[in-house]
Amino acid sequence: MKKCICKLIRKLLGIFILANIVIFVIFFFDLDGKLLYNVVEPFMKKHFDNMERRDVLQTPYDMDKFPKYKY
Amino acid sequence: MAKKNIDYKQLAKDFWYGKPHTAEEGGRRLGELQMDKTGLYRHREWRGFKDTMYYMYNVWGYNYVHMVTDIMKYGNLVDFMKGTWRYRWMGQTYLPVIHWFDRGLAGLRGEALRASAWHYRAMVSAALQQICNFFIADTRLHNGEQNEDYKHTFLAKETTWGGMFYPWADAGFKYIPIEMIPYFVTCHVNSHTVLNYIDAVQSIGLPGDPCPMCQAEAGLYVLDDVPDSSPFVITCNEACDGSVATAIVQDWFIDKPLFALPLPMQFDDPLVRENCMKEIEECWKFIEDQTGVPFNWESMQKRLEMQNKLQRDEHEKWEVAANTDFYPINGVAQALFRIFSTQYGIQGDFWDEASEKVKKIMYKCVEKKINPFPQTRHRVIAWSCAPLYYSNWCTWAYNCWGLNVIINMDSLMFDMEVRNDTYEHMLEDVATYHMWAPMRRMAVGGMHHIFELWDYMEKFNCDMVAMYDQLQCKGMQGVHGLFEDEFRKRDVKAFWMPHALPDSRTVSRAEIRRMINDYMTTVMHEEPLDPSLLDFDDSMTW
Repeated sequence: MKKCICKLIRKLLGIFILANIVIFVIFFFDLDGKLLYNVVEPFMKKHFDNMERRDVLQTPYDMDKFPKYKY
Repeated sequence: MAKKNIDYKQLAKDFWYGKPHTAEEGGRRLGELQMDKTGLYRHREWRGFKDTMYYMYNVWGYNYVHMVTDIMKYGNLVDFMKGTWRYRWMGQTYLPVIHWFDRGLAGLRGEALRASAWHYRAMVSAALQQICNFFIADTRLHNGEQNEDYKHTFLAKETTWGGMFYPWADAGFKYIPIEMIPYFVTCHVNSHTVLNYIDAVQSIGLPGDPCPMCQAEAGLYVLDDVPDSSPFVITCNEACDGSVATAIVQDWFIDKPLFALPLPMQFDDPLVRENCMKEIEECWKFIEDQTGVPFNWESMQKRLEMQNKLQRDEHEKWEVAANTDFYPINGVAQALFRIFSTQYGIQGDFWDEASEKVKKIMYKCVEKKINPFPQTRHRVIAWSCAPLYYSNWCTWAYNCWGLNVIINMDSLMFDMEVRNDTYEHMLEDVATYHMWAPMRRMAVGGMHHIFELWDYMEKFNCDMVAMYDQLQCKGMQGVHGLFEDEFRKRDVKAFWMPHALPDSRTVSRAEIRRMINDYMTTVMHEEPLDPSLLDFDDSMTW
């Protein structure tokens, strides 16, 4: 039982240390920034450039559609 | 084979404390960390063991995690994802928000790093609150449904002060400054996005020379990129009447009940103030008509008290900034926190939390006599409107030249408490606050206010002025020569910083740096602290 707990603690500690090393590598080498700049932003830009948009210029400019709201 | 001399003692010292700031001491050479053009880091800065770990866990990691928890707190992940996919200003812009921290906090150590990061944290929280409020109420993301959130949201032009809507906060109404996130904040985080909106409005015939802020705001509508999150809208003419045209475009494209709340130009006149008070009351009547919910004095009083507390906090901090070397906030964190909090108003506890944390750090500096900016050569006051795409120039200026921006115009614009003892006092002060709108009081608000610079320069013990020069602001261009005369007459050290507010194509960041470099070498005859920062290419950075 004691051996089993020790093994579990060692395993958890190993995962904790490994996770911290991975986080540190991502952080230190700016891998988050590089991913966002080189992959995510160009993808999103392409999506927004090709998006179909309503032609707002077709909206009639109704001067008297609403009250004047004078109080 | 020649044996390499490795100074292990120095290596260990650099590992533990980080490399020293100045070239004479070995230098950390921050400019060499950046990759050409993109401004991405070859590797993030090693600030010494303690500060690097602090930055990794308590700033970088903490903010990534809290960005997700904030979304869940103020809205929900599904609407957030839908909004990210629908709106360019969201999908393309807010992802690199941590890089915005990197740029603003570059080179900071110890207490300066900790305190300035709290200001950034509050701004991210406030931004996410607005974004979530936009999306949960947006009919476009809910198949045209006008849900309860839609019916409980006010949309108003970004220079309409959020405090104007405090009376309806207790009844569950939320205020969103329409362009604050899609335009203003995007420029700081990712300056690429706004160019689409400027180009869009020019594509329908607007000439290129009006203020690019008004252009970008109108462009949001031309590209149909504004959420439909409220049954009615309040507009104003912003700081200058250039924005009247924006309001007309908004009236046309929003096509909803709209109240135009003017910002008077000659606001020192008591008769004008009286008229402004009447117009504010008319606006409140309009809101009562539209919502069916009456003005609530207690709700107003309570939130004004919270806002006044923030102002008193700021006075405490300014006292330390003005009279000691122990103020731990850097120039960009100071300016953005103030302009954002004073304009958005109180809609959560994030401003107060950040302010309390910063005060605690500041008093630690005072007690232990810690100078958070030990390489300060000049105490700088920054005046007029800053370049939004390079608001972190002051971080660069400190790291490169030891120019420490102590205070700036954006922080000082709303230097007032709003009385909340009686309705009459409150209305008078709300009118004053409203008339002192961003970029109005000390930018295009008349000679008396523009020249408040000299008093504040003395009050904050500054010996140098960074004078912003917004090339497309007709108002400020008109007083350029007067400032030149005054600088000479008063023998004030000052450098000009031309820019075009959000548009990084008109004056690049490199050009801004070059002008400061020229001033520091040819006029001040000084050597840079970090020569690697003199010239580098970040033309395509966020």
